[in-house]
Amino acid sequence: MSDKASAQVTSSKSNDWRQDLDLLKVISRFGVLITLLASILIFAVLNDRFIEIDGIRTSLNLASPLLMLALGLTVVLAMGDFDLSVTGIQSAAGAIVVILIVNHDWSWLLAIVVGMLFCLAAGSLNGLLVSYAGMPSFITTLATGLILIGTRYEAADGRNITGSQDLPDIYRDFGVGRPDPWLELHTPVWIAAGLAILMWLLMSKTEAGRYMYAIGGNPEAARLSGINVKALRALGFTAVGFMALFAAVTTTARTASSVADSGFSTLLGAYAAAFLGAAASKRTLFNVPGTVLGVIFLQAVDRGLILEGYSTGVRDIAKGCILLLAMAFTRIGASRR
Amino acid sequence: MTATAPAESAPLLEVSEVTKRYPGVLAVDGVTLSLEAGEIVGLVGKNGAGKSTLIKIIAGAERADEGHLSLSGEPLDLHRPHDATVAGLAFVHQDLQDVGDLSVAENVMMGLGYPRRLGLFVDWAELHRRAAQSIARLEADIDPRQPVGELSVAQQRLVMIARGLAQKARLLVLDEPSASLTDEEIDHLFAVVRRLRDGGITVVYVSHRLEEIFELTERVIVMRNGQLVADEPTSSLDRSSLISHITGHEHAQTAVERRASRGVGGRPGTGAALEVEGVSADTGVHNCSFDVRQGEILGLGGLMGSGRTELVRAVFGADYRREGTVRLHGVAISHKDPSQSMSAGLALLPEDRKTQGNIMDFSVRNNITLASLDRHRVRPRVPVPSARSEKRAADRRIDRLGIATPSDRQLVRLLSGGNQQKVVIAKWLEQGADVLIFDEPTIGVDVDGKEEIYDIMEELAGEGKAVVFISSEFSELVGVCHRVLVLSEGRIVGELEGDAVAEPAIVEICYSQL
Repeated sequence: MSDKASAQVTSSKSNDWRQDLDLLKVISRFGVLITLLASILIFAVLNDRFIEIDGIRTSLNLASPLLMLALGLTVVLAMGDFDLSVTGIQSAAGAIVVILIVNHDWSWLLAIVVGMLFCLAAGSLNGLLVSYAGMPSFITTLATGLILIGTRYEAADGRNITGSQDLPDIYRDFGVGRPDPWLELHTPVWIAAGLAILMWLLMSKTEAGRYMYAIGGNPEAARLSGINVKALRALGFTAVGFMALFAAVTTTARTASSVADSGFSTLLGAYAAAFLGAAASKRTLFNVPGTVLGVIFLQAVDRGLILEGYSTGVRDIAKGCILLLAMAFTRIGASRR
Repeated sequence: MTATAPAESAPLLEVSEVTKRYPGVLAVDGVTLSLEAGEIVGLVGKNGAGKSTLIKIIAGAERADEGHLSLSGEPLDLHRPHDATVAGLAFVHQDLQDVGDLSVAENVMMGLGYPRRLGLFVDWAELHRRAAQSIARLEADIDPRQPVGELSVAQQRLVMIARGLAQKARLLVLDEPSASLTDEEIDHLFAVVRRLRDGGITVVYVSHRLEEIFELTERVIVMRNGQLVADEPTSSLDRSSLISHITGHEHAQTAVERRASRGVGGRPGTGAALEVEGVSADTGVHNCSFDVRQGEILGLGGLMGSGRTELVRAVFGADYRREGTVRLHGVAISHKDPSQSMSAGLALLPEDRKTQGNIMDFSVRNNITLASLDRHRVRPRVPVPSARSEKRAADRRIDRLGIATPSDRQLVRLLSGGNQQKVVIAKWLEQGADVLIFDEPTIGVDVDGKEEIYDIMEELAGEGKAVVFISSEFSELVGVCHRVLVLSEGRIVGELEGDAVAEPAIVEICYSQL
C-alpha cells in the first residue's frame, strides 16, 4: 500500500466512526463483559441474597484455589502450550503435605517447603519433556497428570486422608482464616490476590512477559530474535507447579484433609476461566486480569444458580453454554476482521 | 461490447462498474473489464492496488457494493465461493490451500463429492482414476495416492490447478503461482497454462514478476489505487511503460541503468566484517567459504534449492553448523544458537517475514524493539521495558525507514508486505547489528517497495555496515551488489565482481553446474 493510501485509511477512520460501530463488532469486543454484567444483574434481581456482602466474601474465598490454578495456566497458554497435569500436581502435593504433618509429625512449614519442592520438580519435569525433548504439551501433561493422580490414589488406598485433629490451626488458617479487619476478606483471597498481582506484573510489565507473548505469537520468529524459547517455555510449566502448591495448601487446609479426587472439574473450571479472560480481551490474548475476571464470573454464575436451587448438573450445563457463547462472540470478531 | 449481445459472442466473464468499499478504503473503484474465452491475461499492480479484492469478488468470497458480473452474457450472482465453483471459475491462491495429510486424489476431487459405492462408501479406485485424468492433462508425474504434504511446492500448485480442471473450470485465476518455484518448474507451469489456453480455458495470471507477464500473457490489466488504469495487449508494452502504469511514475530504471547510475563498482573498503570458512551443515551446505567487507553489498545468487538460505542459516546459527568457522570482526562466534551471533553483531532477516521475521500480532513498536528490549529498560538493572524509550526508538525507525503505518501501535499483520519487511529491518538496526543478511527481502513486495529496500541496503553499506543480499531475481543483484557469489547444490561455484556482475553471467554459472 502506498503512503497515500494508508494515510487515507487513518484519516477516514476518524470520519467514518459510524461505519466502524456496527453491532457485531461491539458484541465481539464486549460480548463477554456484557454477558457478565447481564447475568449478575439478573441474579441480583432474582434473589436479594445474591448481593449480600457476606455471601460475596464466601464466594471469593471459595474461588481462590481456582484462581491460583488458572493463573499458572495463563502463563503456559500465553506461550501456546497446555498443562493438563495441574490438578494432578495439586492433588499429589496436597497429599504429601498432609501425610507429612499427620502421619510423620513434621512441622507444617517444613511440609509446605517439601510440597513446594515437589511441585517445582513436577512442573520442571513437564517443562523438560515438552520444551527440551519436544513432546506435545497436551498429551504429555495429560500423561504426567494421570501418573500423579494414580500415585496419590495408591499412596492412600484411594481414601481421603483426614487430619482435623492433627493439622495445626496455623495451617488450617490457610483455608479460611480470620477475616482481616478492613475488608473482612479471608486469608486465601489475599493470597490469591497477591499471586494475581505478581503474575500480572510478570506477564505485562517485564521483559520475560513480553518474550512469552512473542513465543505465543510466533516461536520461530522469537527464536531468531535471540529469545531463549526453550527456557521460557519450560519456566512456564514450573510456574504452573508453583501455583499448584498454593491451591493444594488452600484446599487441604480448608477441608482439613487430602481428598481422593481426580480434580477433573476443577481443571476444566480453570481452563474455562482462562479462555473467558482471553475472549474478553481486545486482542484475544491470555492475560492475568482476564483470568481473574473469568474466575469471578464463573463463581458468580455458580452462586447465582445455587441460590436459585439448581443442581450441579444444571450449573455445569449453564457454564458450558456461557463458554460456548464467549467463544462464539470471539469468532464473530475474528471472521469480520 | 454490450450486455445485450447474443450469448455465443458474449465474453466469458464481464465485470461492470464493480466497486467495493472497506471501512476507510475504496478497495475497488468502478472496475470494468471483460475476459474472452481462451486467452491469458496478466493482472498486475502494487500491493493494495485492489487485485486481491477484485479476485475475491469474482470468487464469491466478497460481495461487491456496486456493479455486477456476467458470465457468457448471463448475469452472475455469487453469494458464496461454491457458486463460483459451480459457474466454472477456479482459483489457485498464493498460499497453498490444500490439505497436506490427504492424498493428491482427495485434494483434487475435494468439493466435488467423492464417487461412492452403494451410496455410502468412497469408491477409491474411481476416485484415483478421475484424479489421475485431471493430473494427466497437466503432464505432471504425480501419484494420486501420495499425501500432498510430501510434494514439492510446484507439484502442490499443479494439484490445485488439477482441482480446478476437475471442477470443469472455464476460468482459472493463478495468484503469484511462480513464488518459490525453480526456473524449470516455472517453464513447466507456463507450458501447462498455454495448453489450457489452447483448450479454451481463460487464464488470469497475477504476478509481481514482470518478466513472466511479458513471456506468458497476451493482454495486461493494470490496477492502481483500486482503479483499472491500463488494459492493453502485452505486445504494445515494454517493461518501463508497464512499470509506469503500475507506479504512476513517468520513468522506471532498469537494473543495468541503476547499477551504472549508482556507480556500483569494485569492492569497497579493506577489512573483512564477516569471514566464513569451510562451513558445512546437514541441511545440504558443503564447505562454503567467503567474506564480506564493511560497506560492501554481497549478493548470493543461485536457483531455488541451491542452498543459499541453508548457508546463511548455518552461518547465523539458526541451523546446526557441523563444520567450519564464522568470524565477526576477527572474533570466532559459536554455532550453538542465534543469540550468540546476535550479540556479536550479526543479523539474519529470514526468508519468510510472516513465519520467521515478525510477530504478526505484535505492534510495530513491540516488533522493532523485540531483539533489543534490554536496552529499553526503566532502570538499567530492572528488566522492565520502558514504553517511553520503546516508543522513541520505534518512532525514529519508522521515520528513518519510511514505514507507512498509522502509528507505532498498529499491528504488523495489518501492514503491507513491503512495510512488514521494513519492520524486520528496523528490528535489526535497533538491535545494533552491523552485518545484515537479507534473505529474499523483496518477495511479494511491489515495485516501489522493492526500490525502497534497495535504497535501505545501500544506505546501510554507506554507513559502513556489511550486507549480504539473497535474491532469486538476478536483476536485483545486478542493480545493487558490489559482488555476487553463485551457489549450486550447496556449494559456492562462482564469483562475479565489478563490471562482470550481469544477469547473463549469473544465469550461465547457475546452469553450467547442472
